[in-house]
Amino acid sequence: MATSTFLYTIYIRTTPEKLWDALTKPEFTRAYWVDCWHDSTWEQGASWKLMIPDGRVADSGEIVEIDKPRKLVVKWQNEFQPEMHAEGYSLCTYELEEAGDMTKLTIRHEIEVAKSKLIEAVSGGWPVILSSLKSLLETGDALEATKHWPKDK
Amino acid sequence: MTEMTTESTVYVIYIATVPEKVWAALTSSAFTTQYFFGRSVESDWKQGSPWILRKPDGSVDVSGEVRQSDPPRKLVVSWNIDWAETKLPECIVTYDIEPAGENLVRLTVTEAHPTPIPANLLEGGRKGWPMILSGLKSLLETGKPLNIPVPEPPKEN
Repeated sequence: MATSTFLYTIYIRTTPEKLWDALTKPEFTRAYWVDCWHDSTWEQGASWKLMIPDGRVADSGEIVEIDKPRKLVVKWQNEFQPEMHAEGYSLCTYELEEAGDMTKLTIRHEIEVAKSKLIEAVSGGWPVILSSLKSLLETGDALEATKHWPKDK
Repeated sequence: MTEMTTESTVYVIYIATVPEKVWAALTSSAFTTQYFFGRSVESDWKQGSPWILRKPDGSVDVSGEVRQSDPPRKLVVSWNIDWAETKLPECIVTYDIEPAGENLVRLTVTEAHPTPIPANLLEGGRKGWPMILSGLKSLLETGKPLNIPVPEPPKEN
């Protein structure tokens, strides 16, 4: 079956535990993920939502696999763009590996759709979000460009 | 026989700095020795000039030609691995340095293979670029490089 995949690796000077918190806790994600936050109890099978600051749901799905602080797999469907919503569920896998005084973070986001609009969109989004996350953990400040939800969306 | 490919590897990273500093970090050994597996660079960075990437032991790692030079926005170099047992076709590496807001740069590195190469050789760039560019970002934002060990080169078979 045709698949669209986004794959990205970034090295961050932090521990897997701190990176896990930064990826999952609202007080961190709101600082670097355009003010969005995850709504989940973070247990296998639990529901998951990525919330937009104005209360809309950006994406929703469920936790497929969770192994804190090493691996997280989320079933992920877009909820606010009809064209992307129609593609159904994607799968997003986060892997955190300790590498000396750093953590190697690998994101694999894929969907069984050829030339997926969702994967095209996240391919533009993930690099700036993850670059901002790295800045936040290494310098204490996220990138200005990712601190707020864009006014026109 | 391994599968042959002309697929490109593209890596995008955002750095809180200005384009001039990214250009300096890509073209000066004072920076590259700190984030590019200890390697130094040699060139006058003018279009048509040779360039060299040198290992810490002084041997040549990569050599090529500057194909396009538009400081501080774009640098294109040809890339020939000088230590491989069998001669590999050259690849083309493009660095696009774009302003993406106040004190923010989007750096896009594209490793293109106009001549087909064995697909497993893409692994070198796919593993290497995230290490190199994560280190470059840390160096420019914090003044401190990452402690990244030198990876083993990919096997040809």
